[in-house]
Amino acid sequence: MTEKTFTPRIISFLCKWCSYSGADLAGTSRLKYPPTILPIRVMCSSRVNPIFVLKSFFSGADGVLIGGCHPGDCHYQSGNYHTRRRVAILHKIFDSFGLETKRIRLAWISASEGVKFARVSSEFTEELVGLGENPAKKEIFL
Amino acid sequence: MKGIAGKGVFLPEKEGINKSILGFLKTLLEKYVFDGIMVPMRVPAKNSYAWVLVREPSLIMKASPLAPVMPVQGAKALKSLTRKGKGTLNFAVLMRPCEIRASIELTKLNQIHPEKITLMSIDCPGALPLSDYIQNPEEGEKRFEALFTGESWSDETSKPVCQICDQFSWQPASDLHFGLMRGQKKGIFLISNSEKGQRVLNEMKLQASESVSEWKKSIEDLTKKRQKKREKRFEEVQTMAKGFEPLLETFAACIGCHNCQSACPICYCRQCYFNSTISRPDSDFIFQKAEVRGGISFPMDRIFFHVGRMTHMSLSCVSCGLCSDACPVSIPVAEVFSYVADQTQRTFEYRAGESGEDAIPITRYRMEEIQGVQNIVHQAEGAMSKDG
Amino acid sequence: MANQLTIKKSSEQGLIDFLTFLLETRKISAVFTLRETGKEGVFDYGLITDVQMLKQAIPLHPFMPVNAGQELSRFKAMKKQVAAVIRPCELRGFIELIKRVQGTPDHFLLISYTCGGALRFASSLHGKGDTNLPGYWKAVEKGENYKEIRPTCKACEYFVPMNADATVSLVGKNHEDECVLELHTEKAKEMAAGFKGEYSEEGTKSQIVDTLLEKRKAEKTRLFQEIGSVMKDLGGVVEVFSRCVGCHGCSRVCPMCHCILCDFESHLFDHEASVIEKEFSRKEGMRLPTDTILFQLGRMNHMSFSCVGCGMCTEVCPADIPVASIFMKTGSETAQLFDYIPGRDIDEPVPVTVYKEEELSKLG
Repeated sequence: MTEKTFTPRIISFLCKWCSYSGADLAGTSRLKYPPTILPIRVMCSSRVNPIFVLKSFFSGADGVLIGGCHPGDCHYQSGNYHTRRRVAILHKIFDSFGLETKRIRLAWISASEGVKFARVSSEFTEELVGLGENPAKKEIFL
Repeated sequence: MKGIAGKGVFLPEKEGINKSILGFLKTLLEKYVFDGIMVPMRVPAKNSYAWVLVREPSLIMKASPLAPVMPVQGAKALKSLTRKGKGTLNFAVLMRPCEIRASIELTKLNQIHPEKITLMSIDCPGALPLSDYIQNPEEGEKRFEALFTGESWSDETSKPVCQICDQFSWQPASDLHFGLMRGQKKGIFLISNSEKGQRVLNEMKLQASESVSEWKKSIEDLTKKRQKKREKRFEEVQTMAKGFEPLLETFAACIGCHNCQSACPICYCRQCYFNSTISRPDSDFIFQKAEVRGGISFPMDRIFFHVGRMTHMSLSCVSCGLCSDACPVSIPVAEVFSYVADQTQRTFEYRAGESGEDAIPITRYRMEEIQGVQNIVHQAEGAMSKDG
Repeated sequence: MANQLTIKKSSEQGLIDFLTFLLETRKISAVFTLRETGKEGVFDYGLITDVQMLKQAIPLHPFMPVNAGQELSRFKAMKKQVAAVIRPCELRGFIELIKRVQGTPDHFLLISYTCGGALRFASSLHGKGDTNLPGYWKAVEKGENYKEIRPTCKACEYFVPMNADATVSLVGKNHEDECVLELHTEKAKEMAAGFKGEYSEEGTKSQIVDTLLEKRKAEKTRLFQEIGSVMKDLGGVVEVFSRCVGCHGCSRVCPMCHCILCDFESHLFDHEASVIEKEFSRKEGMRLPTDTILFQLGRMNHMSFSCVGCGMCTEVCPADIPVASIFMKTGSETAQLFDYIPGRDIDEPVPVTVYKEEELSKLG
């Protein structure tokens, strides 16, 4: 019996100053990583309202990635600290209801870390293949 | 039933009304007459229903053409789809007559764009009170089955406003109507009202060849009965709502949750006046009021809210009764609002949702009208000129 | 000065006498408390300025038509003083609102009481309240959960008020014999000066309070487990919230949901037909209106750590969803992430407004 693998769809929110530039660098360096990520540029990772993550999840995204600057390096001083707390809360709520927290990932990727961006993308994609398709895709009563 | 076609398509009832209608809808999807059909479907918790826009033909067999309860007004669900414009897909919606009427009103208010929507209505025996059904869904299903398939529709278990509804059948503004035939010849009449309705019949290769007069008569007879019942009930409701003390008494338990406003299809304002900061007085004003009267209630301005809401929406009220269903303290909001709406709509010879062409009275005027108010003005003017 | 004031009247009458004293001596301009409206078993909160009207007051009755914290936040800065009698959860709600710049405590004398729980709407309206009262008071005296109180009340471990100026002891006391008022703050002691009653140092804490606390903690564990056993995956979450009609009544009665225009009622969720059609084309069918489950989980993300478990949301829900129990569970878990207890300390900032440089190191 052949195992049916699927191509995960990842929505990512990348902060302009660090992680989006890092993603750009991965591209210009011709690094190989799966074409599963849809990048959405935001000014800072703390722009991400948890609603965006939830909407992505309920619209059927297999995974959601939030990329920000390393703690201490935020262009706006403290944005990413708030992002970290927000993701902690979101993870806790998912966990509380048995929803897969692994589908929501926070990554600190600086502008010079093209390699890290490619690595995170590949790892995340592989993990999602293992988890399977987002059950919300087929759910009628959302 | 002015303007109704004399003939319709008769579909004999094969395995019950539900299956017959669902089978018809399934064929509509299979033949791509529509890209999707919005119908009620039982929710996973199995003790309520929700609107589902169905794409897959096999899924529609799990739906219900007419649900025992109406937790969300169909017009509201339709509004969520077409508020900003018509989209590209062709959809049909199967709704109760009051939901069709609310959709027409919302269209006039620019909240629904129905160009690619085919409105299908169905004879409605009424809906059950929501909280009763949720408490005991098995009992609710039995009761509704009896209502829906029974010979008599004058049941005492449907919602109070349903029991006095005189617009429970064919709607002038719907595109296609499912008339339910009882008695010897059980079946469904498909009656087309418009080009959209005719398109459906054409694509399904159906001819409107049977006379609807027998069914029409049964509906007209019941309508007359209901109209009498409605008038009588409104006389009783007057004691609940006419005068300051009765009004206070009826709404005494109100906690100001505004569920009635949320559930109402006509109340579409994103930010209702009564939820805004403008309607929240400052502390000095609160104290002024309290000191004059010796004390005031909190939350403030609940009667103001209800009378204000009546003023804003009674011209478009379709008596669907969702307000009463949503009220957590069992205030008979729907009956009071229906009574007031009956009065205000009569003043302008207007019936909400009857015609897409009839503009909502507050948006138009005639040079000579509302003689009653005009007379008051004349009296005042006359009195003024006497004073010199 | 002494901490405890005992009045030899029933708890409710003693408190009304105290409030009458404050009003008559103009130490306060008004009393905010529960009162009977005179209509068939109907009650509401009232701002009372006339001493005669205090006769209608029922300050300690187990009724909660609205969360009073929400109402107190409506009072913007003013020079007058108001004595407010509210439940511990309403007080915690008020404190949480103050942290969000939605009210101020300065012009209130906050009086609360050790709370035996609030009755459900069905058990307090239309005359049912009176029939339930005798059984209720007996249970409070014995330190038990009366059967008709709200599910979240049965699981509430914060029934001893935090941040009150004064507290009436009800749990473990015979409310017909005496009114025991504990004065915590200087403000309370100053206000009480001149009032005739027995003053003493604070008495020993009642054993019965501890008994009730244990019962409440046990019920909390049980309730949370019950919820967790049903809502253990997406299917479970969808099933429990499937009856939701999107009225947002829960949000409107919640003291924490103070936003004048909620995200979920804004343009963010006013979709173009094309957006809905796109999602529709990927599924066999989709519920309309959209974003029902999203609203519930989104609201949890925004406010659950501040949930005070007052139970208003469940009472108001037209679809009988146990919203309060679910939010209380999630709220307890999200608040624990930051060692936070809503309403415990007025100077403790809301967790999402602050951060520590070193924390949650596993994330990122």
